[in-house]
Amino acid sequence: MRLQDPGPGKWQLFRIWASIGLQSFGGGASTTFLIQREFIEKHRWLSIEEFMHLWNLCILTPGINLVALTVLIGRKLGGTWGIVVSLAGMLLPSAIITCLLAAIFKQIEHVAAVQAVLRGVIPATGGIMLLVGLNYALPLIRRGYKEGVLYLLTSSVIIIACALVVILFKLSVIVVVLCAAFLGALFFSPGPGSPLLEEEQREQQ
Amino acid sequence: MINPFIYFLLFLKASLFSTGGFSNLPSLHQDMIANVWAKDSDFGQSVAIGQISPGPNGLWVISLGYLTYGFPGAFLALIAITIPPLLVLVVSAGYTRIEHRAWVQGAMHGVSLAVVGLLLTVVWTILRQPGVDWKGLLIAAGAFGLALSRKVNILIILGLAGLVGYLLYR
Repeated sequence: MRLQDPGPGKWQLFRIWASIGLQSFGGGASTTFLIQREFIEKHRWLSIEEFMHLWNLCILTPGINLVALTVLIGRKLGGTWGIVVSLAGMLLPSAIITCLLAAIFKQIEHVAAVQAVLRGVIPATGGIMLLVGLNYALPLIRRGYKEGVLYLLTSSVIIIACALVVILFKLSVIVVVLCAAFLGALFFSPGPGSPLLEEEQREQQ
Repeated sequence: MINPFIYFLLFLKASLFSTGGFSNLPSLHQDMIANVWAKDSDFGQSVAIGQISPGPNGLWVISLGYLTYGFPGAFLALIAITIPPLLVLVVSAGYTRIEHRAWVQGAMHGVSLAVVGLLLTVVWTILRQPGVDWKGLLIAAGAFGLALSRKVNILIILGLAGLVGYLLYR
């Protein structure tokens, strides 16, 4: 990977995560988008492939995946202190505001203007989430073009199937991820002739 | 009265057996109602507050903590949702040992595909909420376009959407 920027200082890391946390409205949609923009596009401390790799680990971890991602990126950019300042930046300012809002919310909950504003904000988070999905899909599709039509087709079918079983059958997310991992191992493992597989066969012999 | 230690353990358990920000809700609901530490309406309100406040969407648990147990509740909730994601360090240590096997690479590609599919379900869920009509879908399309251009701050996009919502639905 090309590092085009020197690593961040602790204070800078804290500030970046605090600004990501504070700009994240409507859940994970904008957060993932902001993380990609700050760490991949603006500072180039991570590549998109590396980001996907870290994100995969977060999917396998219990709890809020974005917090796990904060831990991993924090560790990569600043070791143990990186984890501490990243978590503090991501969680503390937002948690304090959430807590204060909880105190205020009860009193303005039924005001019509508040309801109207929310009816605009909620679909907008949907649109932003769609872009995040597209950002994830692009490297996979690019790889699909290289590997051939069958690979691309199988990939698309798995994406759509995962979405449909959750929407139609309310299948547990963990079950869906495990099934996709199994299908992936079945269809996408590097074939014979790949250096990785030969190496493994040598190990077995 | 609320026992802070058990209260904390309930939040921790719910987060340990969940993935993502909202799947700890059913477990918390059962336990908190059973202990009469929360009302049904606390949950709806907490999720709504989570939507309009900054931070990852799992922070709705902090407003649940506040509504049921004040500032100590919010603090305990924050600690409880911070601990499970730290297990990613264990996951990552185990993963580097097996990542060069062919089947692991295939499996992770499968997981990446699932992630895209799951993001589509989140888009679906958001756009299917009761308040979202065809005007809402246009707002969603507009927000998508503005974000795609990468020239507009996300907060400005959400602010514009809120303004449009105010003008359309007030």
